[in-house]
Amino acid sequence: MKNCFDEGTIQAFLDGELASDLLENVARHVAVCDGCAVLMAEAEEESAFAFSALEQEFNTLVPTQRLWTKINDSIGRERKSVWQTVFAFFKHPTVGAFASLLVVFGLFVAVLSLQKGETVKSVAEIIPDKQEVIAPIFKPELATSQTSPSDDLESPKIATVKQAKKDYSIVKTVLVKKENSPKINNQPNALNSAEDKGQMTNDNFLLGEESYIKTIATLEKTVNSRKDEVLKPSSRFAFEKDLAVVNDAIQRMKAEVKKNPKNEAAKNVLRASYQNKIDLLSSVTEKTELMASLK
Amino acid sequence: MSLSSQHSALFSIKMRKIHINLILIIFALLLSIGASFSLAQTSPPKPAPKPHNKVRKIIKNSSDTPAEKSIAVDAGVNISLCVSDGKLKINGWERNEIRAFVNGGSQVGFYVLQKKKDNPVWVKVLGYDPTTNKETDAEECLAGNEIELDVPRNAIVNIKSNSSEMVIDSVGKVSVENAGGDVFLNNIERGIEARTYEGDVTVENSSGAMSLFSTTGNIIAFDVSAQEVGDIFKAKTSNGAVTLKNVGQRQIEVGSNSGSINFSGEFLSGGQYSFGTSNGSIILTIPQNSSFRINASYGYGVFASEMPLQNIEKNAPSRIQNLSAQMGNGDASLKLTTVSGAIRIRKQ
Repeated sequence: MKNCFDEGTIQAFLDGELASDLLENVARHVAVCDGCAVLMAEAEEESAFAFSALEQEFNTLVPTQRLWTKINDSIGRERKSVWQTVFAFFKHPTVGAFASLLVVFGLFVAVLSLQKGETVKSVAEIIPDKQEVIAPIFKPELATSQTSPSDDLESPKIATVKQAKKDYSIVKTVLVKKENSPKINNQPNALNSAEDKGQMTNDNFLLGEESYIKTIATLEKTVNSRKDEVLKPSSRFAFEKDLAVVNDAIQRMKAEVKKNPKNEAAKNVLRASYQNKIDLLSSVTEKTELMASLK
Repeated sequence: MSLSSQHSALFSIKMRKIHINLILIIFALLLSIGASFSLAQTSPPKPAPKPHNKVRKIIKNSSDTPAEKSIAVDAGVNISLCVSDGKLKINGWERNEIRAFVNGGSQVGFYVLQKKKDNPVWVKVLGYDPTTNKETDAEECLAGNEIELDVPRNAIVNIKSNSSEMVIDSVGKVSVENAGGDVFLNNIERGIEARTYEGDVTVENSSGAMSLFSTTGNIIAFDVSAQEVGDIFKAKTSNGAVTLKNVGQRQIEVGSNSGSINFSGEFLSGGQYSFGTSNGSIILTIPQNSSFRINASYGYGVFASEMPLQNIEKNAPSRIQNLSAQMGNGDASLKLTTVSGAIRIRKQ
């Protein structure tokens, strides 16, 4: 064909170096001229071969478009904020779901731990409430009177009445002291439950003492709130007197066990005294329940 | 880019958005569940349900004659009743019949809870007659100046009382809980559970397992025995004395806070006896041929025995003494504990 183009023009066409009008002419001609088409195919193969051979050199030495793209991507990634990265991370469905589960679990654990803290606090709050426990007073003459030969063994009721009268004076004195002096808990003989607890933790010589003290603390809380309604004045007085006797026994036995932790007799008596106190407090709660059931 | 690839790209973007929205919804849902749960947990605890304070209507007996009713029952009938106020007397008789009598107080009636071969085996004695009275809030407890019940000799009696002095005689088994008032029990065959919070408990000529409790009263038991091997006798008072004479159970546990304990009788072979006080004496009056091992812990009191004790062992000098000793072959076991009371063993 007369209008066939030379090899240089075809190569320039492949390299994209022709002007637009000439480019269009070459394209139309190649479409209808078999010789030029063959020539273009050969030129294409040659240039493909040459590019593949020199590709590494071109990529490293010449700043191509791909290189610029990579550079721009890297700069863009550097400019992304931490939050965007985190957000992008959490866009993944599995990660998102797992994270939400973790958050809910964390909240649940936090709530549970808070509640445990509250329980501990409430137990701690119970302890100082027991300030109305009467201070025990050791009266040596009381023991002497018990052991004196004049103790009338044939008439236990009379002996009890005598004893009750003596105890009455003791309790009365203590009650009056308590009313007049709010600082009674500072006295060394005062049996304060908080002190009890302190002693228990510091001088835990008796096996199971902690459980006795916890039970007593729980019962005392209930009894203190109801004893005014349930007990008549005479019963209330007897109750306070017995409580003073038991507290006195506990205090004395504690001191003895502290002095000699191997004294099994003292431990036995201490256990029995704790049990007596529990029984005494339980009697008030049981009476309350009975009266409530009959209403 | 071809049309199909554009479509697929758009589809994938939409799917991604849906995924994100779905995750956000799930997250919000879980968060709200967690928050509501935590709120539910941290909210203040509900107050304990208050007892039923609705005042029940006492159905008074308006008749001139005392209220009296009877019902035929099984010989071993179980009888339940409550008494709000009044003297109660229950007596066992040979008839298979319950007769209830109330003078100067409420009406009386029976409610059969269970029957066996047409015979009532569980009956509730009421302060009104349920067959004639249709009050919905009628007071169930009996009240009156005199309340008397005749019941079969073998009956089991369960009583709850607010304030009542009770005398129960010749029945099979008794369970009593009394807020205030003395309890006298005589000739009870198969066991007693008596509890009074203000008053004395007295038991005579009875057998079976026994649990006697008083807060501010004395406990007295005479001539009681076990009905079966292993029947236990327990007595506990806080502010009174315990007096026991001829107690035949082989396992005895007795305690008093500020009262004394007096035991008079013999220690049976193989028996286990435990006596404890805080501030009262323990006095044992026993036959000269007694045989027991003793273990006594006492604090500010004394230990004295009129009987010859052998193998006496005392712990090292201490404020709290521990003494172990033996008399005879040591067939019974005694445990005595007191803080500031005396322990005395006397000849019978």
